[in-house]
Amino acid sequence: MGLVSSILIFTISLKSYYLKVIDKRIFSLSFLQLFFVIISFTSLVICFVISDFSNETVFNNSHTNKPIFYKISGTWGNHEGSLLLWLLVLTLFLFLFLLSSRGEPKQYRALTLVFQQVIIIGFFSFVLFTSNPFNYLFPRPNEGLGLNPILQDPALAIHPPILYVGYVGTSLIFSATLAAVVENYISKDWAKNIKLWILISWVFLTIGIMLGSIWAYYELGWGGFWFWDPVENVSLMPWICLTALVHCILVFEKREILKSWTIILSIATFTLSMCGTFLVRSGILNSVHTFANDPTRGVFILSFLFLLIFLSLIIFFFFNKEDQKDNSKVYFLSKEVSVLINNWFLMYFLSVVLIGTVYPIFLEVISDNKISVGPPFYNKLIMPLLIFFLVFMSIGPNFKWIRETNINNKFQLITLFLVSLFLSYFLFYKFGQSSLTNILLLSASLYLFFVTIKDFFSKNLYNFSKKIAHFGFSLLILSIVLNAILSKEVTANLRVGDKIDFENAKISFSSIKSIKKENYQSIVGSFTIEDKRKIYEFNPELRIYDQPIIITSEADIKVSLFEDKFLVMNTIKGEEYFNVRYQIKPFMIWIWISTLLLAFGGFLSLYNRFHEK
Amino acid sequence: MKILKFLFILFFIFNINNVALAKSNDQLELKISKNLRCLICQGQSIYDSQSDFAVSMKLLINKKINEGLNEKEIYDLLIEKYGEWIVYDTNLNKNTFILWGLPVLLFLIGGAIILKKLVFRKV
Repeated sequence: MGLVSSILIFTISLKSYYLKVIDKRIFSLSFLQLFFVIISFTSLVICFVISDFSNETVFNNSHTNKPIFYKISGTWGNHEGSLLLWLLVLTLFLFLFLLSSRGEPKQYRALTLVFQQVIIIGFFSFVLFTSNPFNYLFPRPNEGLGLNPILQDPALAIHPPILYVGYVGTSLIFSATLAAVVENYISKDWAKNIKLWILISWVFLTIGIMLGSIWAYYELGWGGFWFWDPVENVSLMPWICLTALVHCILVFEKREILKSWTIILSIATFTLSMCGTFLVRSGILNSVHTFANDPTRGVFILSFLFLLIFLSLIIFFFFNKEDQKDNSKVYFLSKEVSVLINNWFLMYFLSVVLIGTVYPIFLEVISDNKISVGPPFYNKLIMPLLIFFLVFMSIGPNFKWIRETNINNKFQLITLFLVSLFLSYFLFYKFGQSSLTNILLLSASLYLFFVTIKDFFSKNLYNFSKKIAHFGFSLLILSIVLNAILSKEVTANLRVGDKIDFENAKISFSSIKSIKKENYQSIVGSFTIEDKRKIYEFNPELRIYDQPIIITSEADIKVSLFEDKFLVMNTIKGEEYFNVRYQIKPFMIWIWISTLLLAFGGFLSLYNRFHEK
Repeated sequence: MKILKFLFILFFIFNINNVALAKSNDQLELKISKNLRCLICQGQSIYDSQSDFAVSMKLLINKKINEGLNEKEIYDLLIEKYGEWIVYDTNLNKNTFILWGLPVLLFLIGGAIILKKLVFRKV
């Protein structure tokens, strides 16, 4: 295995050579690099599959009686392996970029390559010096320590690779932007080319976040899907930034305005991804998802991050030439301005998330005060402005480029607004809750929902992808809001045989049994819930894993179109009682469906791009 | 700028509105336990956790509610005992005014920049 590492170093030195050479050899060299990374990655996977415990990473994170699927996914379920995966995606993307950008100017491609190599070298040395996945253990242990069982899950097995594709895509956007700035190649052609990569990263990031969220929903056993946990925030930040960039690049492609802003956004997106890696990998954050804590790693990423920011700032200030010919007139009622407003709000949301995540760390360093910034903070700061954001999002996309002279569907828009206001008031009246924020938020999301549906019926078929994505977003917000307002739950300590009443239904705990599984002991409770129409059987499970010994609880979820029924049980130490929590969560499934629609919208736009060619 | 002022005022109205009181003691207990950090867990709330600490905290909250303390009094009590780290909903004080103010400030600055650009272009 040491051999592979030395090959890796060899590749780095080869790559540095690029700085001078710009010709056909680049292809073969970057293929070579990709090839070596693939070899080292595959060999790590093989080590995991055959349970080669002389490898330290395998020893720390695997176990012989783990199912084969999780042996493979265990490869990236740890710090070292996940970095190797990161490198793999990084080199793969670079190679794909080289293949796909044949039509671009040579200088630009080469420079992109150089910047990308700086990043790759950074990560290579990070892997080699602080977290080598191929460390050798001499007296070969007979058994490994095992993978944390909450990570043994299908959604989480594919979550990291997909998320990483999204993250790494932003690195390519970063390099390409810097290269274009230096070469003064920021133009419509450039926008067209880079849009491809922006969309790819955006789609993957969206799906990656969704998978993580689904996992948190059913595996962590709390019944929530978003906790405003630092690690979640860290993946949300590049997403918000990318979303802003997707919109911004459209404006740039059409009108060549907002040039500097586009550049800043591209740089910011990647910086945020890197910050994310730093915050997660250094273990500074107190989070449910933290698996690796090592200060030296943190210092390394931090200095690397500063280097990159420094580099990009220098390039931005010295090379970015502001267009003197200001040929573009911008009118207030136009698509450009509505995209600008979209960016304005998105940047606000971004700043809320960023400050909320980072501020406690700084405060602790400066004043020794430990504070927690939790969901209430984000809700209070984001919700009020989300209302306006949704309203703007309903109206804005209807504007024409340059200048909207007459809004011919004014009547429709106002009617729909009144309808949604009325409808949400009615809903609240019926369910007996009233809070001004909630009513307005619901009406705004309903409004967006109606408007996006209406858009499907309008004649022009172009921009179908946008309609899908916007519709997906409206559905997402709508289902999140309804879910938050209408969820119901009960928590109780029950013994076998106990019964409780909840919302016109009877919950009874009928029996419990214990089953031995491949790598865990399973305790399955059996519950029946009887309401007026139907009897439901619930079998929540407690798993006691052998290696390492950890108890996890698996919720039993009955998914239906309108609501999820969610039942989970937990042990109470030294007692025969179990802590049982039953939740009714309306419209859960629509949260996932709408996120998929959102991603599908992006995918469709990608598809169209290829079709144009 | 009028619009901005308007937004600003609305924003604060919403926040006051958000502090609507929970209806019954049960709901109050849920609300409080969701807003407290389990100090021995990694990033879980008291509500989500099954650790000994969380369980005893839930009992404590229940007891205090029955004693007639209101939400804020319970938070104050816990902050005095465990420090501000335990409460997810940070108060506005001299340590956190940047936390609350900076995003809003950035929003206003952003708005000002956009307005300025638009106005200049028209001339």
